[in-house]
Formats: sequence, C-alpha cells, structure tokens
Amino acid sequence: MSNIIKTIDVTDSLENLKEVCDIEDGRISGRIFYDQKIYEQELEKIFARCWLFVAHESQIPNTGDYVTTTMGEDEVIVIRQKDGGIKVFLNACPHRGNKVCFAESGSTRGFICNYHGWSFNVAGNLVGQHESGIYEASDFDKAKWGLKEVAQVESWKGLVFATFDPEAPTLQEYLGPMTWYLDALFDNQEGGTEFVGGCIRSTYDCNWKIAAENFVGDILHAGWTHDSAARAMLGGSVAKVSDFEESYSVNWNGHGYEFALDTVGNVAVLGESALNKYLHTIKPSVAERLGEFRANMIGAVSSCTLFPNFSFLAGQNTVRVWQPRGPNKIELFTWVVVNKSAPQEIKEKWRKGAMMTFSPTGVFEMDDGENWEYCTKTAKGRVTAAQDLYIGLGMNSRAEETSLPGNVFKGQLNEANARAYYQQWFDHLSTKRWSELPNRNFGKQEAE
Amino acid sequence: MEKVYLCKTSDLAENQVKRIDNSEHGDIAVYNLGGNYYATADLCTHATASLAEGDIEDEMIVCPVHWGQFHIPTGRAQGFPCEIDLRTYPVAIEGDAIYALVEVAAPALIAKG
Amino acid sequence: MSAQIEKQNGQQYPVSFEQHHKISCFLAYEYRLLDEERFDDWLALMHEDIHYWMPGIENRRRENLLEHGFYAADHMAYFDDGLRDLGRRVARFKQPSAWAENPATRNVHQVSNIEVYYGETDGEYVVHSVFQSVRSRGLDEQYVIHGRRRDLLVQEGGSFKIKQRLILIPNATLTCKNINTFL
Repeated sequence: MSNIIKTIDVTDSLENLKEVCDIEDGRISGRIFYDQKIYEQELEKIFARCWLFVAHESQIPNTGDYVTTTMGEDEVIVIRQKDGGIKVFLNACPHRGNKVCFAESGSTRGFICNYHGWSFNVAGNLVGQHESGIYEASDFDKAKWGLKEVAQVESWKGLVFATFDPEAPTLQEYLGPMTWYLDALFDNQEGGTEFVGGCIRSTYDCNWKIAAENFVGDILHAGWTHDSAARAMLGGSVAKVSDFEESYSVNWNGHGYEFALDTVGNVAVLGESALNKYLHTIKPSVAERLGEFRANMIGAVSSCTLFPNFSFLAGQNTVRVWQPRGPNKIELFTWVVVNKSAPQEIKEKWRKGAMMTFSPTGVFEMDDGENWEYCTKTAKGRVTAAQDLYIGLGMNSRAEETSLPGNVFKGQLNEANARAYYQQWFDHLSTKRWSELPNRNFGKQEAE
Repeated sequence: MEKVYLCKTSDLAENQVKRIDNSEHGDIAVYNLGGNYYATADLCTHATASLAEGDIEDEMIVCPVHWGQFHIPTGRAQGFPCEIDLRTYPVAIEGDAIYALVEVAAPALIAKG
Repeated sequence: MSAQIEKQNGQQYPVSFEQHHKISCFLAYEYRLLDEERFDDWLALMHEDIHYWMPGIENRRRENLLEHGFYAADHMAYFDDGLRDLGRRVARFKQPSAWAENPATRNVHQVSNIEVYYGETDGEYVVHSVFQSVRSRGLDEQYVIHGRRRDLLVQEGGSFKIKQRLILIPNATLTCKNINTFL
C-alpha cells in the first residue's frame, strides 16, 4: 500500500539524561517538565513510536463515522470502514498538507480538501480532484496519493489504539498483563463498555507527564489535595488509604495501576448512592466472570495510566488523554465510560457524576490543576529545574510471592508505578528502536 | 434514434445503478428506482467520476468524488459543485432487456474550424 | 455562527421598560454576589427546581449537527446541575482546604445585551443575555470566558428566582484548566 505513512528518522538521544532522571537513585528533576529539547525527543521517541489511544469503538459504530484526535501533536482521523474495521489517517492532504477534516466527530462519505478539491473516500483513497483533467494530462497516479495511513491500529475491548511505528510490538504485547486488571473496568459485564456522547476539552499549562504520572500511581495526593472536594461531596475526608489492609501498585512497560479492593471507594465520591448500589448489584456477576479479586476492583479507590498518556479512574469512570502541546502545555480530552448494559438512568448519573468531580468544573479536579501547573512552572527557573525531586517511596516494596500478574508492589501509597513510568520514559528517550528497549519487567505474564 | 442494449432487468436489483461501457456515446449509467428504470450519462459533469460508483439517495445519484447530486429521472444538477445537467436517455424494456434510446446527433452542417 | 440559543417558536412579548430595568438590576446583583464570594446569598437566588446547564460545545459540520446544533442534552457538559449539585460546589469553595482558592481567585462578572420576554406562565420571564467572566489567580493568571445565556426567571415577592439557566460558550476547547466560578 503506497498510502502507508513514511516513518521519521530518529535523531540521537540527548546526553546526560541520567542527570534529570535516575530511577535507581529515586530522583528526577523539573527539567523534564520544561525543556524544549527534551520535548522534541518525546515527540519522536515516544509519541511517534508508542501505542496511543485514539477512540472508543462506540464513538464510531457505522461506516463513515469518524472522530479526529491527535497522536502527539500529529492530527489524525479515526474512521470506521465498510468492512467494519477502523483506519487512522493523518489529517493532512497529501497535496499541500491542508487539514482535510475540521470537525471533531461526525459521519461522512469521505473528506474533500478545501484547498484544491482533492477528494478521499472512507478508505483514504484519492478518488478525484476539482479540474481532474489537468491531473490526467500530467500522468498523475491517483493510487499513490491517498491519505497517509498510520502503521498499526488495534482494538482491545472497545479501546482503539494506533502507532506510527511499524516496528512497534503488537498491542497485546505492549499492554501485557495490564489487560488482566483493565478488565475490572472495561469488561466487567457482557457487552463491555461505551463512551457517553461528547468530549470535554480543556487546556492546562502543565507538562503532560505530571498529569499522566498522577494517574499511574499517585493516590497519596488524594487525602490532602482533595480534602475540600471530599468534604463537599461526602461531608467527610477522603478514605484513609493507609488503613486499607490490602492494596497494590502494579506496572508493566511503564503502564501502572494502583488499587485497593474496597469495591466502591472511587464511585462513592460521586455522591450518588444509586451508583454504589449498581456496582454492588453487578458484583456477583463480575465475580463469576473475572473472579473475586477483580470484582473487588470495579469501583475501588484506584487509578491507572497506560504509557504514555491515556488514563482513567474506575468508579468515577472518567477517561482521559493528556495531549502534549509543547513542554509546558496540554490539551486534556475527557470522556465518560459506562457499561453498555447499564440502565439508562445509571449511565446518566455517571455522566453527571464524572462532570461534578473530574472535569474542568469538577470539584476534585479544581485542586489538581493548580498543582500540576506549578510543578511545571517552577521548572522555568534554570537553577530550580536542576534540583533533584524525590521519587523514592516504596523502594523495597516488591511483592515477592504473589499469584498476581505484572510487576507487583505492595501497597498503593507507593511511588513504584511512578518510577516504572519515568524509567520507561528514560528508556524510550535513550533508544532509537523498539528492539533496543531494555526489558525491565520481572513479574508474571499471566495470573495464576 | 439508436437503441442501445444496457443489461437485463434481472441484473439490476432495486435501487441499484450499473455502468455500461460505451465508447461511441460515452458510458451510460442505468438505474432501477423501485422498479422504474432510468438511464443517464455515467460521467459526472463536474470532474472525472463514474456516477455508477456513487450512492443512490431517494431519486438522486450522489457523485462519489465531490458529492454533487443529479436528479436521476431528469438529469438536473442539484447539489454543489454540479451545475451542468446530466444527459438522460429514454429507456425501453423488451422482455427482460433494458435499452437506452440514444438520439444520434445529425452531422454538423458546417465543419468546425 | 457562534454559540446558538435555539430560536423560539411563536411571538415573543417584551416586558415593560420598568420590568426590564428590574430584571437587569437583578442580574447585575447576582453577579456582584459571585464577585464578592457571597455564595450562600447567590445560592438563595436559585429556584428549588433550578436546572443550571452548561453543555459541552462540539465542533461539528453543519450536516452532522446534534440535537441542539453544537450540543445535546445527553452529551458531556460542564454543568448539568440541580440545587443539590450547586450546593456541593459551593460547599467546596467554603472549605479551608480548598487549596486552589487560597489566595482567592479574583472575579469580575459582567452581563449585557439583556432581552426580557414574558414566559409561558404568569410571573415567569425568559431572559437572554451575554456575559463575560474575568478571573485572575496568583500574580499573573488571567482567564476570560464569554458566552450567551438564556434564563427562566420566576417572580417571587419583590424579587426573582432563577429556575433555568442555559450557558453557551463559543469554545469547543476551554482555553483554561477549570471553571472555578459560576457563569
């Protein structure tokens, strides 16, 4: 296929990266949140290589249904094909590069460029142009000039991911045993999940990693940062996580999921008893489907990030992508995910509950935003950015004897996932191809 | 008037369109709209496109390239960027054979310069 | 075309000059309460059945419009609140642990382009307006949100209660991190 995307040349890695990120030593530095050169490395070595979340299948059920999004800063169109498959194209005309789709979602026969009328069908093929005779007289080969197609697209239980890198491992290998845990939210009922309509987009003056890292394994902040929101929603403080008898931090390939086993700790903050009740009602069937352990996770105190920038909270059911827009800016895309089989009024309560808590007007998110922005902004100071930042909690907390899959650490008040996340970041920035990437996983591939 | 054979009625399901190659008069698109048969020129009047590759919506054929529309029974151009009407041909059905009746232009009295 | 309030069917009857003036003053007063962080007083202006709705705005083509054009009732929203929800938001503002409110956000709310029509029920008024919200935080943060509103006000004694508020901004992407105020 001549429309397959041309891969970019990967430049040499920056020298002395260890000065800003030394995980064995338990430290990073603010420079990784503010440095333009580091950011450019991230765009080519992370965002042009990794599997990135681009859509939920439920957003594009029928042929010609599309959403537009970005992979890093590259604009793409995600569109359902006639054969039921999904393709992802660069949202740029191969003639002069103009954007061909200006809407965020919709349904179409194809895309016609506003500039010279180049017309592409849903399969991305160039089917014609305005003044087509001129091209025919130039022996123009239409077959060579379709929309550029992203190298790999795969779905996992409704979540659609794409990568620009033909050498990237399969999505299954990339996610590894994390999928076992993801089932707790994305496959706890027959029929799986769907997104509520629409997407809330907002803008933060923060580095993309600081937000992603917050979801990869930082429940520690919740008790302090979110005290005001918890009191507003529940009339009391956030659950004391250190009191949980059993909780974990699990990671793999830089992805991380931290969780307790209290079933409804996360959903409770939405302040809608009907949602707690719904989770308790479905729990026996989840236990049958996924086992007792994961049935305890469905709305428990937890958070997750899939490397590099896809995050969610089971229970609050907020799903987000931290889209990089420069070293110190992100666009945040926020959706709400619900079980397809849930009653309509339950879906409605989640739509509103997620808005009340984790959205630009959410009472929880209000206090996150300022933290993330100023973790970024302080690194503007050349001297400040050079100082070490501590990331050493739970250095010796590896769960040695466990039947759980993945790299398992004891306790969710733990920076193990954050360390694994930044280690993966470091490894990508230190290598040029997937085959050079060190394998730092030590845990089991599958549950026992 | 020349009678040009297009296809069998059994070859054209309801709400389908088919292109019949014809080097002499230009390719012809033949349509079945709810049991009524129509024929038009197949080439879009705006840019190079075979209308038979487009979709039928009600009585309209939608060009697959720039999504302009023509009214199938009359050939009227109805949607941007199509502004020039499409040539239509009367249709004759004989048994299960569909024919287009093509008016053959009289030779020009004065040769073009 | 910017954010659109749906066109109303049928004839609209504008209220008297005096009533228009009263309602304009009410809207200005409401906004001053917000600027002065008098949240309980502000909450007291809400009708018990208040629907306070600010839908997410979606950038879609004209041939793919939603239920209300750029927005839909069952899609994502910034606010889709009843009185209990507004009360919870106010409760957060009042916590000493609302870290991102200390130092305080400094607000200026402005309302203009006020049109007032009789509602379908006696004592109810449909009010169209345009607003501007300017917030500043810290030393140098400034966030400006513009939009259009359609309120349904109910006369209660000498004053009014807000029974419905629809808030539409033109932006499909919010140009700031949050909306830590009311609009």
